Amino acid sequence: MKLWQYILGGVAVVFVGIQFVPNELPAVETDNPGDIVLNGLASEEISTMLKTSCYSCHSNETVYPWYSYVAPSSWLVAKDVREAREEVNFSTWQEYEMMDKLGILDDIAIEVKEGRMPMEIYTLMHPSGKLDDAQRAKIVTWAEETMDIVAEEEDEEE
Amino acid sequence: MKKTFLFPTLAILGLLFIQGTTKSVSETEAELHALAPDMPANVKAVVEQKCYGCHNAASKNEKGKAKLDWDAFEATKKSKQMATMAKINETLTKGEMPPAKFLENKPEGKLSESDLATLMEWSAGKKKSK
Repeated sequence: MKLWQYILGGVAVVFVGIQFVPNELPAVETDNPGDIVLNGLASEEISTMLKTSCYSCHSNETVYPWYSYVAPSSWLVAKDVREAREEVNFSTWQEYEMMDKLGILDDIAIEVKEGRMPMEIYTLMHPSGKLDDAQRAKIVTWAEETMDIVAEEEDEEE
Repeated sequence: MKKTFLFPTLAILGLLFIQGTTKSVSETEAELHALAPDMPANVKAVVEQKCYGCHNAASKNEKGKAKLDWDAFEATKKSKQMATMAKINETLTKGEMPPAKFLENKPEGKLSESDLATLMEWSAGKKKSK
């Protein structure tokens, strides 16, 4: 056997081995009564953008691609989705306190405006999730206007 | 002759009422803004002493300025102020501010327990009064 064969064999063994490392992908839940879209805060146009560009990570409705079942990419997907849902989970929108909703909407406006979201690694694998400048502007305007709606709703409830 | 004037007059009167109703919406908005609780003096004191050094419009700390600029805070709309308060609350809950690295060189910049309590209570906004 030649050296390159040993190296290749080694890589193959490691690759098979890491498949047995426990890795749990965040659960998928399709019935989400507290979803932001179901609660009428987003127009159809905005909803569509949120669903194609954000929901894969920031909701319980993650659509896992094949490579999310293969290590080591599965580790990255699991970590990103878990952290994304912690930051904002559109599926459980109604559970947030009013102040937190405002903080999240403000973050959405900032992150989308500055092009930090959706993440590049996501749009690389999901080109349909890319947002152009016009779409970004629409989401920013939506987030800023929705902040006023959320703040006023709370005032009315009191 | 007088009757011919009646309709335009009524129409103009009607318009006034329509304007009146639309105006009342913007008036409540203005009221909301006016009612927005101004920062209490004790909060301002802590902010000026412990936060403002980095979080101001002329700050050389670009990240700090981008994240929070106290010079811009009071001029922003109420919902944005509350959004900022929510984020301040979260950051303080996690104990991320002032940054540990900053405190290495400037230990006196640390928030005292009462500083922290003041900021936490204020930034919680309506959460606690519920």
